[in-house]
Amino acid sequence: MSTLSAKGLRKSFGGVVAVDGADLDLHEGRINGLIGPNGSGKTTLFNIVTGMIKADSGTVRLGGTEVTGWSPHRIAHAGLGRTFQLCRVFPRLTVMENMLVSLRRPRLRDILGGLTSKADVEVAMGWLERVGLDHLAGTDARDLSYGQQKLLELAAVLMADPQLILLDEPAGGVNPALIDRIGDLVRDLNAEGRTFLIVEHNMAMVMSLCQHIIVFDRGRPIAAGPPAEIQSDPRVLEAYLGV
Amino acid sequence: MPNASSVRSPAPTALPHLPRSVPLRIGLGLLLVLLLAYPWIAPGGYLRYAGVLVVMYAVLSTSWSMVGGFTGYVSLGHAAFFGLGAYATGIGVVTLGLPHAAAFVLGVLVVAVFAAVAGLAAVRARGASFVIVTIAMVTMLSLLAQDMTWLTGGSAGLQVPGAVAGISRTGNHALFFYLFTVLLLFALLTWWFIDRSRYGAGLKAIREDEEKAEALGVPTTAYKVAALTVSAAFTGAAGGLYAMWFGNLDPIFVFSLVLGSSMVLMALLGGSRYLLGPTLGAFVVAPANEYFLTQHGESQLHIILSGALLFVVVLFMPEGVIPAVQRALRRFRPQSASIREQTQQELHESRGAAT
Repeated sequence: MSTLSAKGLRKSFGGVVAVDGADLDLHEGRINGLIGPNGSGKTTLFNIVTGMIKADSGTVRLGGTEVTGWSPHRIAHAGLGRTFQLCRVFPRLTVMENMLVSLRRPRLRDILGGLTSKADVEVAMGWLERVGLDHLAGTDARDLSYGQQKLLELAAVLMADPQLILLDEPAGGVNPALIDRIGDLVRDLNAEGRTFLIVEHNMAMVMSLCQHIIVFDRGRPIAAGPPAEIQSDPRVLEAYLGV
Repeated sequence: MPNASSVRSPAPTALPHLPRSVPLRIGLGLLLVLLLAYPWIAPGGYLRYAGVLVVMYAVLSTSWSMVGGFTGYVSLGHAAFFGLGAYATGIGVVTLGLPHAAAFVLGVLVVAVFAAVAGLAAVRARGASFVIVTIAMVTMLSLLAQDMTWLTGGSAGLQVPGAVAGISRTGNHALFFYLFTVLLLFALLTWWFIDRSRYGAGLKAIREDEEKAEALGVPTTAYKVAALTVSAAFTGAAGGLYAMWFGNLDPIFVFSLVLGSSMVLMALLGGSRYLLGPTLGAFVVAPANEYFLTQHGESQLHIILSGALLFVVVLFMPEGVIPAVQRALRRFRPQSASIREQTQQELHESRGAAT
């Protein structure tokens, strides 16, 4: 079954066409990579799919439900989580508060429940342990290092238990050891059945981590397939190297 | 992957709780006793009147911070809710002939409904645009109150008969001092409840990064409108009490930008992110205002000084007095408490995690 499918997405900003009739089909349970030169429309595609911006035309379906035009929080409740290109945490909230912002279902009982409600805090501590931040639960997020903030951002997304996770440049600005660690985490989460779509410029990471790669150029996909195939695809080489 | 250490400290609480240190608790207890005894120990009617005013301002600034403090949406037009609550209560008593308590409840309901509807439109604007929308709101209501003479009495004001027939002036001040104190306690309790709920975490997330909060599943519009409605209801309740206490509603005062800015100044001065910050701010600014009014008459001096104070607070203490004092105290304390003991394993892990 397809977890995320988009048909004929188009978005222009003034005279610039950022996404130009793009189709996308993600299969459940895979780690998908989305690569392409700067300005090829990857982040715009992310923003359309997550409801942050409205497409001029086209449809988005999530697990069989059409979510075109839905607000971002509704799409999040439908099981889609995302991180941002430049890591975004809530700086003046503690690590634990950052975790508890996220809501799987906005039920009144949960919303008005205390931050110290044991079940929620335990789930949050579980995720923090997995990313190695449990000892910093009471620290303000602004006091974490950039790498720790990246891990916190991912952990906070996981609080809502999303089945599909979009990562926008998870390796951007972090050291090699942490890149490996994020990669391992993604593999573990994928083994638990979560689907990933990863935008990344670090080719080593993309090629080793992703099982399926989609190449974007000038607002639309130009190739898709397993890493080995993509690496030798002449259209990809042309888009990247201009040869 | 770190394994859960068998000796881990209990799950750290993530939020500022009520003050824990014993001296602070005793101090706050004494303050509460002093507050409750105030109408009996205040010498003279004027000081009793000023006391009511100070507690009223504490209610207003605490209510304001339910929006301004949690979500960071700065409203300069909160006087709209105060004035509407006052007029709705007054009209309930005068025109509809309702008992005072019923008119008060009606006033709060009118304000809540108005805030929910106006809020849906207002929270679409962010930053400076939101501020302007709130200014427009209070200005429009002020003009309406002045023009609809048949209902509001127009510029001449609306005379609201007292809640208790035949009560003395000082008795009336004492009564409303306690009513405002009860309202303040309710407002503080509500603030505290929001602060420790996931709803509160969502509101604070909106303040820090609204787009990100939305992406994490926070229904930001609903959250903001709900916060505005609760905040407005408390502000309107203060207006209703004011109508019954003061007895004369002047549209220029109750719907004034100066009143709205006072709420902002008091909340920011004390610290709008802290439970008792806005109350502290009110206890400083409101007596200062009264002092200048009595010493220098109805001059504009107190407004100019308020403006200067706001300037100083925003420039040098953007988080308010409470955190500034906390920082200063920390500087004089022994520093050993800030160094965490780490096991070799933790040290290793945190090095692995940090960049």
